[in-house]
Amino acid sequence: MNHARRIAGLIGTAIMLGALAAASGPLVPHHAAGSAAMRLAFRARPERIEVCRTPTAEELARVAAHMRQEVICEGVAASYQLRLQVDDTVLIDRVVHGGGLRHDRPLQLELEHAVMPGPRRLQLSLVRREAAATDSVQLPTTSRVAGDTGIYAGRAVREVEERTRRDLAAIPARLSLDSTISFPVQRVILVTFDPDTRAWQIHGAEP
Amino acid sequence: MTDTQPRATRRMIQMADAIMNRLYGWRSNPLHQSGTIAVAMLLVLLATGLYLVLVYRVGSPAASVAALAADPWLGGWIRTLHRYASDIFVVAAVIHSFRLWAQRRTWGTRSLAWVSGLSLFGLGLACAWTGFVMAWDSFGYRLAVAGGRLFDVLPILSEPVSRIFAGDAPVPSAFFFVNLFLHIALPLAMGIGLWLHVSRVARPVLLPPKPLLWGTVIALTVLSVLWPAPLGPGADPLILTTDTPINLVTSWWLPLVERWPPGVTWALLSVLGIGLMAVPRLTRQPRMGEHAPSVVDPALCTGCDQCPQDCPWDAITMVPRTDDRPNLVALVDPARCVSCGICAGSCAPMGVGPGGRTGRDQLALLRSITFPRFREQPRTVLICCSQTPADHQRALESRGALLHPVSCVGNLHSSVVELLIRGGARAVMIGGCPPRDCLGREGPRWLHERLFEEREAELQARVDRRLVRTMTLAPGALAEALAEWDRFQAEVETIDSAPQNSPDSMELMLECDPVDLGTGVTR
Repeated sequence: MNHARRIAGLIGTAIMLGALAAASGPLVPHHAAGSAAMRLAFRARPERIEVCRTPTAEELARVAAHMRQEVICEGVAASYQLRLQVDDTVLIDRVVHGGGLRHDRPLQLELEHAVMPGPRRLQLSLVRREAAATDSVQLPTTSRVAGDTGIYAGRAVREVEERTRRDLAAIPARLSLDSTISFPVQRVILVTFDPDTRAWQIHGAEP
Repeated sequence: MTDTQPRATRRMIQMADAIMNRLYGWRSNPLHQSGTIAVAMLLVLLATGLYLVLVYRVGSPAASVAALAADPWLGGWIRTLHRYASDIFVVAAVIHSFRLWAQRRTWGTRSLAWVSGLSLFGLGLACAWTGFVMAWDSFGYRLAVAGGRLFDVLPILSEPVSRIFAGDAPVPSAFFFVNLFLHIALPLAMGIGLWLHVSRVARPVLLPPKPLLWGTVIALTVLSVLWPAPLGPGADPLILTTDTPINLVTSWWLPLVERWPPGVTWALLSVLGIGLMAVPRLTRQPRMGEHAPSVVDPALCTGCDQCPQDCPWDAITMVPRTDDRPNLVALVDPARCVSCGICAGSCAPMGVGPGGRTGRDQLALLRSITFPRFREQPRTVLICCSQTPADHQRALESRGALLHPVSCVGNLHSSVVELLIRGGARAVMIGGCPPRDCLGREGPRWLHERLFEEREAELQARVDRRLVRTMTLAPGALAEALAEWDRFQAEVETIDSAPQNSPDSMELMLECDPVDLGTGVTR
């Protein structure tokens, strides 16, 4: 290999390595300068809309002792109308469901929309679409089955507790937010659902 | 697949090879070594990764990587070297697969190598993905979000992964632990994949020649010191970054995937994956003509065990004979034979080879085509393989060479050389491909050993070795080839040798009549 070829080889190597290094980390535009965004992200369990009735004595007699329920409930998971409006612009207006084929799994939502920075009026609502059943019997708060003993003892109480817990974990029938928020430049305002307070929660807003 | 398409791509390869041969010489042409360079980079990744994993903290990923990048003595360049090695791995793997596809080396027994190679490539990309996410800078965050979106449309996990990147709570350490686990487990899977990749290859070469290996490692290390890989600002889900330093080599698709719905990405990936996996099927050749598998003539086979040793694909085994001779007989597995014809040159009695390319066929071809052309005036014969660049052939022909093309010089039976010399050729020059770019894998090496190092079936001692020469005909290295030719011609001029025999009076085989090894009786 002669001298000229050696130099050409070195130059070729330098060019290839330079190309490699340049391709290894060029700055690629992502978000426009001076932008802001509103992100809505939450996970919550949809409410269960049920019609409950008290089984008759004949019905109870037909089933085995361990299958006798004080109240029989049938129903569906609720769906919700989600509406997000920033100033006069409606960004989202659609129906949302819980996950799964029967929509009875938690509702998961993550949406992001570009918003002009600065103070904006944010109106967000999540409203249950199904009406609560009016002919439903009142769920008992304590067991009224006289024979709530033996290995099934306490079942009625546990059922009541489970229903109470489920109701508390579910999205309220109407959840709304109407507030003026300042959207900082190059930042995201995140709105989530807080299951403890059962209300919208805003993250990242300037005080 | 049409025949013109691979021809066009092969021309592309020849042009690229020519440039690299001019820059580095064919011995160190990195394009010939793309597969071994990829393996070498895996070793570099392993070595640098061992250090990085000791320093990395799943509890504070961004901070630990930032501290690494800021360390000018060790961490900074090791991290960069790790990254550049992954880039080279990807580039080398793409070149390697493109070359094999263009050279139609993807069907038959090589299907497993193709499919496992694609899997290795996919695993490598997945490993790079987890590695970039581990750094947890703005680029890692974008990759994580894109990955989360892709995963969430699959019915695998009950809860969407993307939710953890929303920004209302810190990303759990478990996520980084899983990433770290995958980043270590995937290379282990690649080790198995590599074993599969070369499992049907005899004597696999896993590393490039030392000058190229160390040259690459040193060059990358120097580059790592001089040009550290960028690290974006630490990931913050609530910040909109205007620019992100993206690794285009492994993640050029990221800006596209961020715009497309996940379903579109999966659909494209599936089409691409199925298309690539189907390449062995699409490029499959009919097992006839030039692609017919080798066959053994049991009557000629002496059981010498040379063809199984030479076969680059382990397609030949020695099995007990069914006749009354006591020795073993070679058996070709047609499913593993790729018709490279290497065995034809390895068999002294000329009892094995693809149809039309056995030693006997070569001698017959020589008598019918080449001999009549130098009867009147003795000339130096240039035996060259079908891959020899056309400009080399033309240039050497214009210098008086009488061309005798063969499919691969590794197929060439040494008796052809002897017959040429004895038949009146002034000398014989054999031009092969660069040894690491031979389609038959080891053709030039076996040829050289058969001619000059007594490898079975060796060129007989009675042939004057001064009249025989081998050289490499590499694209872009015409000047060297011509110089070598001129040197050889000048040397031949000084040798006083006359034709030793007439081709017509010579028996077809000189030492190749089958011999019953049990009795020593020539049949």
